[in-house]
Amino acid sequence: MTSKRHSSFCGSAEHSLDRRAFLGSGMQGSALLGAGAWGLNALRQPALAEVLKQKEKRVILLWLAGGASQLETWDPKPGRPTGGPYRAIQTSVPGVQISELMPKMAGRLKDTAIIRSLNTKDGSHGTGARLMHLGRRDEPNLKYPDLGAVLARELGRADSPVPDYVSFYTATEGRGNAVGQSGFLGARYAPMSLTTENKPLFLSRQENISIQDHQQRAQLQALFNERFARKRNLPAVASHQEAYARVRGLMASETLFDLEQESQKTRDRYGKTLFGQQALVARRLIEAGTPFVKVSRAWWDSHGQNFETHLELVTELDHVMSTLLDDLEERGLLENTLVLTLAEFGRTPTINGSLGRDHFGQAWSVSLSGCGIQGGSVYGKTDQDGQTVADGEVGAGEVFATIYQALGIDHQKDYHVGARPIPLTDPGIEPVSEVLA
Amino acid sequence: MAADPHKLKISKQINRPGILMSIARLPDSHRLFVGSSDGKIYDLDIMAEKPEPREFVGHESYVTGLVHLESQLVSAAYDRRLIWWDRESGKQVRTIEAHQRWIRQLITTPDQQQVITVADDMVCRIWDVKTGKLVRELRGHQEETPHHFPSMLYACAVSSDGKYLATGDRVGHVVVWDLATGKELTTLETPIMYTWDPKARIHSIGGIRSLAFSADSTRLAVGGTGKINNIDHLEALARVEVFDWQKQERTHEFKGNEHKGLVEHLVFHPENQWLLAAGGDHNGFIKFLDLEKKNVLKQAKAPMHVHEFTVNETYDTIYAAGHGKLVAWTLTD
Repeated sequence: MTSKRHSSFCGSAEHSLDRRAFLGSGMQGSALLGAGAWGLNALRQPALAEVLKQKEKRVILLWLAGGASQLETWDPKPGRPTGGPYRAIQTSVPGVQISELMPKMAGRLKDTAIIRSLNTKDGSHGTGARLMHLGRRDEPNLKYPDLGAVLARELGRADSPVPDYVSFYTATEGRGNAVGQSGFLGARYAPMSLTTENKPLFLSRQENISIQDHQQRAQLQALFNERFARKRNLPAVASHQEAYARVRGLMASETLFDLEQESQKTRDRYGKTLFGQQALVARRLIEAGTPFVKVSRAWWDSHGQNFETHLELVTELDHVMSTLLDDLEERGLLENTLVLTLAEFGRTPTINGSLGRDHFGQAWSVSLSGCGIQGGSVYGKTDQDGQTVADGEVGAGEVFATIYQALGIDHQKDYHVGARPIPLTDPGIEPVSEVLA
Repeated sequence: MAADPHKLKISKQINRPGILMSIARLPDSHRLFVGSSDGKIYDLDIMAEKPEPREFVGHESYVTGLVHLESQLVSAAYDRRLIWWDRESGKQVRTIEAHQRWIRQLITTPDQQQVITVADDMVCRIWDVKTGKLVRELRGHQEETPHHFPSMLYACAVSSDGKYLATGDRVGHVVVWDLATGKELTTLETPIMYTWDPKARIHSIGGIRSLAFSADSTRLAVGGTGKINNIDHLEALARVEVFDWQKQERTHEFKGNEHKGLVEHLVFHPENQWLLAAGGDHNGFIKFLDLEKKNVLKQAKAPMHVHEFTVNETYDTIYAAGHGKLVAWTLTD
């Protein structure tokens, strides 16, 4: 059932993140300020991603907003009254079948683990989405950071010129559920949220300021800063300088969101849908050093015509996800990039009168691919009709612990809010070691 | 006794496990063949005190089309197959891998010499009944929607004179063909039925689900759903548009005023007294549309979402298959 793949995480100091070194060696620091001057086009060449692939852990979350059906994706029940009309197909992993709507993923399951036994006990879009963003329930007086914020903190760099956490959510339905909350970590780890365009608004250099002017202003500002800071070793000064650097970094990173920088062949490869385009931007971002990108694909809430909806959306997911994994692998980035499919819940095995499936949190599936994952592994089991978890029940906390562990982050690590220690996952939670490399 | 839609009442209702997707009737009888989501076809007399269904086992997915031809039955399913059955023995006579994707509908020509299928490979195929050989295939529908998702070819209908064939797809595109030559005669559009939501949910839910020619072949009725705000549900009113197809002119627009969901099946009265439509959302409906007055003659809630129905020779009894139920309605006292 499992195919052993190379272990990707060692947690060693040599494998710690060093984007500054990369940027310093790969590009001239002075070029940072010019649009496109990061040499990102050069990153299209897989060989030039060598430094990144060895040192950086990244996450792309494909957020299936509204709740994708586990029966039409990762846990088919062919021939059962609940199974629906789609067949199960054999994957590249002996003994593992998934829905026939995912032929491309079936052919490349070697990097993907499936957890089929998630019971989150929550059929509400709002609270279910919060749970699957935070890994636990809110407390009345404490706002937890979501997965992206934690990983921005854990995998990002204080001096990072690229955004640490980028979140795409273009559809309007369910956007309010998809949290994007940095909680007690503070605004530094809040997402850059893109909801209307695939690139950030108001990031471009003003047209009446030339590139040369822009660079000279930066140099002048750096000179003043340096003089000012020389005699004042204060955190506030450093923070001020960091904020400037980040803004300039974000301005320089505008090209990351520009798919014109990619070849037509690559753009075609990801497909013409919005989801495909955003997945390609996500790849560009993580390739340039952004540690966490969430690409939300809404809206899966198929109370009516579940099978038509899933024919559209799973076909798209299968293409985009398999292309993304292929692309990451070809660039040598997959072993350090974790690609997740999560949602607020799955869908009822029982098919309603509209040929729909309703909300269902009792027995559903998620997938984890790439970094730190035992590809081809399947954990947990539902009963023959998919109504209950038959074996290996886990909750959101276990999924989060597994994600952290796959990235080499101790899931029991404490943050502190005042004097209170806050572990990354609730006490007693353990990762699903069976899907870890 | 004259049939009158105002006398519509349920004369028999049977609960059945599964989703009943298709129905055919042995002429001059209450004997029904019903295609189910379990891949089986059930043969039963709906008016029997305790119907005891006989099973035809052979398909591997939802049975979405059934036609009765002399001593045989032909079925189509989401397993892409067409199966010819001996009606009395229940044995398979012939099996054909007919399409690359789900077969959505199966009909027969008026002379019963050919059967016609439409499927999600976006091809309409015409088959010789006696030999099972492919006579012709018709390609007039795009495989992808304008928004780059797989399209679906749901519906087909043939005119009572056997001259014309119509096919209708996910995006509201209709093609009318010359059945004898396969020549494309005209196209029609029903864009509202596509229900593409570009902003809130970025997918679609609707499509043309039913087609029917009037008895004189001049009109073509198209069934689907109306504009949906929330495509999580089939929440729009069920919709029928009627065209003078040769003029490419929409002559009737029945937006609906009560029942929601898809119009899954349409049948014209042979004297154009009414156009019968049925379908549903979570619930079901049946409605008689008056083309002359352009209004609803009679409508009623059905006990289930109706997937297909058939009408008897005198047009006074309607047999419907749907979600977990079989129903017979009569139009007489």
